[in-house]
Amino acid sequence: MSLSFRLDGVRLGYGHGAVLDGIDLDVAPGELLAVVGSSGSGKSTLLRALAGLLQPYQGKILADGEEVRGTSPDRAMIFQEDGLLPWRTVRRNVELPLRIRRKPLDVSAWIERVGLAGREDRLPRELSGGQRQRVQLARALVGGPRAVLMDEPFGALDAQTRADMQRLLLDVLRDTAATVVFVTHDVDEALLLGDRVAVLGRGGIKTVLTSATRERILEEL
Amino acid sequence: MSSMSSWARRILALLAAAGTWQLLTATDAVLWLRFDRLPTLGEIAAELLQQVTTPIYYLDLLQSVIRILTGFALAAAAGITVGILIARSPKASDLLTPLLEAVRPIPAIALVPIAILLFPQDEQGIVFITCAAAFFPIMVSTRHAVRALPTLWEDAVRTMGGGRLHVLRNVILPGALPGVFGGLSVGMGVAWICVISAEMISGDFGVGYRTWHAYTIVDYPAVIVGMITIGALGWLASAAIELTGRRTTRWLPRAEGSSA
Repeated sequence: MSLSFRLDGVRLGYGHGAVLDGIDLDVAPGELLAVVGSSGSGKSTLLRALAGLLQPYQGKILADGEEVRGTSPDRAMIFQEDGLLPWRTVRRNVELPLRIRRKPLDVSAWIERVGLAGREDRLPRELSGGQRQRVQLARALVGGPRAVLMDEPFGALDAQTRADMQRLLLDVLRDTAATVVFVTHDVDEALLLGDRVAVLGRGGIKTVLTSATRERILEEL
Repeated sequence: MSSMSSWARRILALLAAAGTWQLLTATDAVLWLRFDRLPTLGEIAAELLQQVTTPIYYLDLLQSVIRILTGFALAAAAGITVGILIARSPKASDLLTPLLEAVRPIPAIALVPIAILLFPQDEQGIVFITCAAAFFPIMVSTRHAVRALPTLWEDAVRTMGGGRLHVLRNVILPGALPGVFGGLSVGMGVAWICVISAEMISGDFGVGYRTWHAYTIVDYPAVIVGMITIGALGWLASAAIELTGRRTTRWLPRAEGSSA
């Protein structure tokens, strides 16, 4: 079952002041919400708060009506930088969420699903950037999370690999019921992937567009 | 091919050093340094061959190895634990850092009087000094290695539902390993210095004791044999740590040809 989010008057920051203030946002179960904004607009901060890695100064973040007070395997996260553990092979990286939750280590299907069959025993440093993001995707989805939070996962990839990854993402998400919050600075990527697009400006959310167009987003940014 | 020539260079360097020694001692060279009282290679080889046939040589060797392994194992366990604790817990850091930083500059060998007073037997005192010597490099390297870990890895484990123990087991211990092995390597070096020095001061057995004893009875070939034994043991211990370190951190990117 997918997860819903509600942010109510949320103020977020890192000790030296607020990065985002007065955030009100609803994310429906099963929705793919793209969050677009320029560098420093607080996209990653918002995502870290949804993951439970950052507590708001003010306001509440609710996941299925319950306040988010810490991390949970229900809310998997894919990082922009390489979040893979470099000493673990592809297989052992993908297995990790299952090991932590003491579940059966059945990961072959997911490794195959993201196109890495035959590369199970490779270390992250032996993979390309796109392949590493595939491992992150498999690792995020293997435990059956109810929400997936994606922090510019394809930001460092070349155009061709990025397009391949976007196709793969849409393909695998079709098989899961997970709610997705996808952060990007790329307007086209937000339009391609998002059911709705939230535009983040300095200090907060400027608008959430249900039927977004490139021109409309650029106007808001 | 390049590996062959590398080994050839190493062997050549050792042979050149041995040849120079032989030349200077066989000719009783008295330059500014005096080589006329030092034994030749032949005398050293004869002494070595004689010593390796006696059980006392192996008893000394075993005694020193037991002391170093015991002291080093205690230092490794304590150094890694305290290093992680200080790096991860501000409270532990506040409690332990002032004391540790006050004790750290004291050379371990300067603890000999304290060791003699503290412990009922010399044996325990020597192990204590060896442990104290190895503890600080291991603790400091572990502390730095843990503090330098990217928070991203910890965040990744936490978002999988991992708690503190999962972070410790899956991120901190494996991630800090390269730095920890740096500390273990330095720690082993100073542990050898201290175990030999402590044996020279207050031991009844051991390679250090036997070397110093040979000096007091003016048996210079035996002194050199003792030094060669200490060097070989130290080199073996460092090589063992280096090899273990490389095996357990295979995931680190390494330049080609950096294996030796």
